[in-house]
Amino acid sequence: MIRFENVTKIYAGEQVAMQNISINISRGEFIFLVGPSGAGKSTFMKMIFREEVPTSGKIYINSKCINDMRHEEVPYLRRQLGIVFQDVRLLQNKSIFDNIAFAMKVIESPHGTIKRRVSHVLEMVGLRDRMKSYPRELSGGEQQRVAIARAIVNKPGIVVADEPTGNLDPETSREIVNIFEKINAGGTTVIMATHDKRVVDALLKRVIAIENGIIVRDEAEGSYGYDN
Amino acid sequence: MIIRKAEYFISEAIGSLKHNRLMALAAVTTMAISLLILGMFFVMVMNINHIASSIESQVQISAYLKDDVDEQQINDVGKRVAGIEGVASVKFVDKETALKIFRERLGENKSILEALGDTNPLPNYFEIRAKDATEVKVIAEKLEQSGDFENIKYGQEIIEQLFRLTKFIRIVGVLVIVFLSLAALFIISNTIRITVFARRREIEIMKYVGATDAFIRWPFVLEGIILGVGGSLIALILLNWTYGTVVEMATRSLTFLPIVPMYPLLTFVNIGIVLIGCGIGAVGSGISIRRFMRV
Repeated sequence: MIRFENVTKIYAGEQVAMQNISINISRGEFIFLVGPSGAGKSTFMKMIFREEVPTSGKIYINSKCINDMRHEEVPYLRRQLGIVFQDVRLLQNKSIFDNIAFAMKVIESPHGTIKRRVSHVLEMVGLRDRMKSYPRELSGGEQQRVAIARAIVNKPGIVVADEPTGNLDPETSREIVNIFEKINAGGTTVIMATHDKRVVDALLKRVIAIENGIIVRDEAEGSYGYDN
Repeated sequence: MIIRKAEYFISEAIGSLKHNRLMALAAVTTMAISLLILGMFFVMVMNINHIASSIESQVQISAYLKDDVDEQQINDVGKRVAGIEGVASVKFVDKETALKIFRERLGENKSILEALGDTNPLPNYFEIRAKDATEVKVIAEKLEQSGDFENIKYGQEIIEQLFRLTKFIRIVGVLVIVFLSLAALFIISNTIRITVFARRREIEIMKYVGATDAFIRWPFVLEGIILGVGGSLIALILLNWTYGTVVEMATRSLTFLPIVPMYPLLTFVNIGIVLIGCGIGAVGSGISIRRFMRV
């Protein structure tokens, strides 16, 4: 589903973010991406949704090489992906319902489908009764749940989450991870970068550790492996 | 599908305009002023062209005969002149008629002529019209060479000056129009840039969930077009009103001035202004959004 072939990324100023990385991620996998800050986790994620392009090497998503993809094709790649950020990135002037509906509107989904799907995903993240609220009226964990709902509303095959529990307390983090597990159980590939030792150690999923732009560890039922 | 999309674009564009009312007002005002000056310049150039060509068509050569020629000689000269290439018509005016015309032209001041008593200082002359205004000079030179005339006068110099003036005004006009269009473009693109900047988060999210560039761009382009059309409508109303007043004044008190009638001239100018307004609005917003699309 996702394949990196000898991927190297060097940013302007000669800063090497990724060195000769090769990796395979299959459909339906749940992956924790761990490693110190600045190790290259974000670059790894950004290359999946093609915000960054490798300096050398190739990246395949669903067997399609995305390196030499034309600019006009990028939106269609991203429709296959759900992206969740640490800083949630909700639109403050839109209600919860509209925030999620927005993601469907901009890819031109029919009105009826939008209503049905938004209700469904809000149900899934347990916020159905808050659909008329505004982001500022919600707690951090609830906002992150809205962001996850937005990421999955278009039924992506892959969900990419960059430290989604970074700002949350352990209990809330656990809730968020439960939602990701639920999404994963439905067959969606989940890739989650995290610094959360407890979460990683509790789930026993595949763990990929990146340090200085190199994969130092790739374990099927791995642990966090750092002292935090 | 298309209706739903259009609905979305329009509501986004109008929402954004409402949100940035002051900037929108500034943009519309600048647009209106620029387009008004642009339209006025165009109308002025058209009028000067019109005046030039109407003077051009009135150009004639007055060839004054020597006083000592008899009727037979006058006839011969008239035939020779008519035979010159490029001459459209030849009309003989005897000195008595010339005096009468002169007296009429003087109007209330005709008493000046009383000082002359019974003498008539005016010569007999031919009024010669050319088929083409550009040939006037050549014909005049031939008449001079013939030696039949004491003096030859024509309005060529005035025409040439007028042509130089219209050419100058046209060049200045084009420069002014280009300059004003660029100014309007700059202001519109800045206005849109502010609204784009205010909504960069939204654009970013749109890009992440897979909205196409065209889909993101449309509401902003529409916003630019609305600003452009708004400005052009104000310009158009002011221009029509101003020109209407000028035409009315001219027909009432400056009857000799050949002014271009309001229509169809203004119909074309109006369409032009709206199109230019639309174009500037669309291009201006297109420019300003480009930078924010690179996610």
